[in-house]
Amino acid sequence: MEDKWFELVGRESASRVLSEWEEDRAGERDRARSGFWGSFWQKINRIKIRKKKRNRPVLSLCLLLIVMAGCLGCELFIPKDPLYMDLANYAHEPCREFWFGTDTMGRDLFSMIWYGGRISLLIGLTATAVSTLIAVIFGAVSGLSPRWLDALLMRLSEILLSVPGLLLVVLLQAVLGKANVWSISFVIGITGWMGIAKVVRTETKQIRNSEYVTASKCMGGGFFHVLWNHLAPNFISSIMFMVVMNVRSAILSESTLSFMGIGLPLDIISWGSMLTLADKALLSGAWWMILFPGAFLIVTLVCITNIGSALKDGAGSRESNL
Amino acid sequence: MNGKNPYLYYGGKVLGFFLSMAVLSFVVFYIARLAPGDPLVSYYGERAEKMAPDERAAATGKLGLDDPVSVQYIRWIRGALRGDFGISYKYKTDVTQVIGGRIGNTLLLGGTGFILIFVFSLLLGILCAWFEDRFPDRVICKIGTITSCIPEFWLSLVLILIFAVNLHILPGSGAYTAGREGDIKDRIWHLILPMTIVVTGHLWYYAFMIRNKILEEIRSDYVLLAKAKGLSKRRIMFRQCLRNVMPAYLSIMAISVPHIMGGTYIIETVFSYPGIGTLSYESARFQDYNLLMVLCMLSGGVVILCNMAAQTINELIDPRIRSGRDNGISEVSGLGG
Repeated sequence: MEDKWFELVGRESASRVLSEWEEDRAGERDRARSGFWGSFWQKINRIKIRKKKRNRPVLSLCLLLIVMAGCLGCELFIPKDPLYMDLANYAHEPCREFWFGTDTMGRDLFSMIWYGGRISLLIGLTATAVSTLIAVIFGAVSGLSPRWLDALLMRLSEILLSVPGLLLVVLLQAVLGKANVWSISFVIGITGWMGIAKVVRTETKQIRNSEYVTASKCMGGGFFHVLWNHLAPNFISSIMFMVVMNVRSAILSESTLSFMGIGLPLDIISWGSMLTLADKALLSGAWWMILFPGAFLIVTLVCITNIGSALKDGAGSRESNL
Repeated sequence: MNGKNPYLYYGGKVLGFFLSMAVLSFVVFYIARLAPGDPLVSYYGERAEKMAPDERAAATGKLGLDDPVSVQYIRWIRGALRGDFGISYKYKTDVTQVIGGRIGNTLLLGGTGFILIFVFSLLLGILCAWFEDRFPDRVICKIGTITSCIPEFWLSLVLILIFAVNLHILPGSGAYTAGREGDIKDRIWHLILPMTIVVTGHLWYYAFMIRNKILEEIRSDYVLLAKAKGLSKRRIMFRQCLRNVMPAYLSIMAISVPHIMGGTYIIETVFSYPGIGTLSYESARFQDYNLLMVLCMLSGGVVILCNMAAQTINELIDPRIRSGRDNGISEVSGLGG
């Protein structure tokens, strides 16, 4: 009986069906154990499951959602025009009119933070999209290609990335011309894909010779078909954590670059470019110009980090032997 | 290597290193030339913008910038092989001299920072693993997650604001007070703030790695055996687990060198600390080609060397890696390296 099943639906799905039968049978067994001991047994089972669950970063998710919603819908509640330079009130301390004070160009910081958050988050997401795309394609090509090509590709990318990140960005920026949101995302994206590419490559190498990949190739499936339908489902869970972490480091890079004067110019407001004026703030002792944008930046980054590490299962899932 | 000839193995490594350096020099040379910008400005200053066309042509010819890029590259390689890296356009002296005057400062900052990170991350990692999931571990993990999210430049700004601008107890920029270059006390005084930031910026990442490595190690079977034998927790942890974790830790630290270096670059620019970081930033922005090349080769060389060291350590520990399996150390992305 079971042999026929294998022939009909293939080994993969047959084993799935078999395991479903097993589960059904187990469920029936549980249901059969009615009464006090039966419910007790079920309760114990449930406790086990609850213990296995990873801690969910509820607080981080909520905070991040609030920040994102606030940034997207900032027009609804910000009191001032973030671009308007109120020169009569430059570098004003936080007060009732300017909640977070104004910067040295007279712009209202509270409005700027919400307005600029959009750009920061957008750059984080776009840069991650760029780096993930490059990483997945590069990793898959490298993993599927013959050994010498694989070694060559990996070595080449290592060399390219051995140019210090900062210098690479400066050079690329110079090549691409005046910085805007897209060029910055692109530059950050193409400097931060190596980690993911390595993981994709390793995973691809492990499954490149499995039957379903070969079968798909024989049936004429192209590179992207195989990548999307057969490889991606295998590596997506292991790169998820790194992808989320890439969002974080992209936002971090953007702020660092803008601060150093090689990222976004002053008139495109983001959390990083708001800190460009920090040296002037240091001279005039305007602490609010440094503190508030930085605080928003850090809160967002911490939230993203927490969400990212919740996606990754740590070593703590098993009992310690010690 | 097939486990037979160590000379062939290390020879291959050395050859790979030089090949990598050659490719690197080629890439940087071309990218730098592609970037629009006027190297004459960094040589002649503002005057370059007002030059007449023929003056300009003469100046370009004098610096050898009118040849095709490939000719320039070959000329550069020839010079470099003889140890002549050309002159810096901005400082008008030999590139090696310019760098030689600055590299000590960077080594002092980065090197001391590296040693501190090396020691403290090991201690923190052990501490966290010892108290796994208990109060100290949780607190340190929380604090660590937050500190790892604080951008280095922002922390520098806040510390400068607190200690230099408001309290006036620590200097906010430079490596020494003008005219007191030899004074060691003064040096240390200037190092405190940048060093704090170098260490806090990286400490947690590596502490976390070693914590996880130890936690993995604790879950292996020999620990159970040792415990059944009646060994104390301390003995198992320090004599057995730690010894097994050490090689992995060494290779992690080898990879950390470029990251710490990258962080140092950013911190140097914030503190206007006269080191390699500020120099490379300047040279890249103002098309000081010769200086840029040497700086890129220098830091690129360190990165390649460290990656190779990490790989070699891993291969020596676990020969299976040589058959092309990943070494399991995830890279940190971003500006770090």
